[in-house]
Amino acid sequence: MLVPVRYSVERWSYTLQRVTGVVVTLYFVLHVIETGNFVGGPTVWYVPSYEFAKAYYEEVKEFLHNPIFDVGLVVIGWMVAFHAINGIRLTLAHFGITLGRPSRVEPESPPKSFSTLQRAIFWSSIALAVFAAVYSLNALMGVFAR
Amino acid sequence: MEGKVVFTVFRHDPSAGARPRYVSYEVPYRSGMTVLDGLLYIKERIDHTLAIRYSCRMGICGSCGVKVNGLPRLACFTQVSELGRSIKVEPLPNHPLVRDLVTDFSTFFAKHKSVKPWLIRKDVEEQENPTGQYLQSDAELERYIQFSYCISCGLCYSACPVVTALPEFPGPQALAWLYRFYVDSRDHGGRERLEILDRATGIWRCHFAGSCSQVCPKGVDPALAIQLLRRALIRG
Repeated sequence: MLVPVRYSVERWSYTLQRVTGVVVTLYFVLHVIETGNFVGGPTVWYVPSYEFAKAYYEEVKEFLHNPIFDVGLVVIGWMVAFHAINGIRLTLAHFGITLGRPSRVEPESPPKSFSTLQRAIFWSSIALAVFAAVYSLNALMGVFAR
Repeated sequence: MEGKVVFTVFRHDPSAGARPRYVSYEVPYRSGMTVLDGLLYIKERIDHTLAIRYSCRMGICGSCGVKVNGLPRLACFTQVSELGRSIKVEPLPNHPLVRDLVTDFSTFFAKHKSVKPWLIRKDVEEQENPTGQYLQSDAELERYIQFSYCISCGLCYSACPVVTALPEFPGPQALAWLYRFYVDSRDHGGRERLEILDRATGIWRCHFAGSCSQVCPKGVDPALAIQLLRRALIRG
């Protein structure tokens, strides 16, 4: 059920929306921990000395200076963009906007809920997410600057 | 296409305690053959113990729903010629298994009944002893006729990923039926109908995966009904 190989793009959208939602939520938790460490971690509550905070900052910066984290952020960039734009598509659908109108059934005609506009927004979300990933790739790793 | 077709069929009897298994059967192909024809050939000539359910053989009763090559379909409505030489047949997901390809629809029909799939009228006496007809315009008919084609075959219910994750969810079939009566100009249910589904495990759990509309053999498009129903709830 998780990998909908036989189903339409709407089902793929459902799966991707759920997976990206969970991953981005987990990332936010790690992101708060990461940025917290930059300013000295839990010791910040006790107003640490400047030297201690600077050493802590340098240590975390060195730990994060790793291509694995950069690639991870590129993937997160793709996920955030896809989740946000596809989320707009779903919100429109939930309000009945961008869907077709009910009518008599025509043989072999696609469902009205799979409207051209809905599918266009879905594929746009994929394309814009790829753009966001490429932008992240350049911003983090300077791929196109070399 | 000539020669033989291999049917790989799910076999399991929960009451016997044996483990589920897949058994392959070779069935001679003939032009116009449906998956149901193949299953009946197996039952009549190869293995009489195979349990299947069917009735009308022409896509009207909705009894012969099975999963064919990974998608829920009506066995009588699916041509072997469009599937190739290897066909995998399994029971419908999301319905409890009775035996082999037969599943239990009790929960499905209980959910169907919970949405009150009948006309609710204020003038009960007139409804019971009518003195005239309830006339409708073409526009009023167009609002619900698509959803009235449902044959309650349960394919949409078995394809729904939300039902898999949350068994309390009413499912696409029940929600489409609710919308069908909600927009019927003869119905006086109104808010009474909507409040049936305005709960934590109700209509809000639909995430518009659209699988229900993809597998519906009658073009009912339950996903559309659910989104329109949700719009009605949001707008009050």
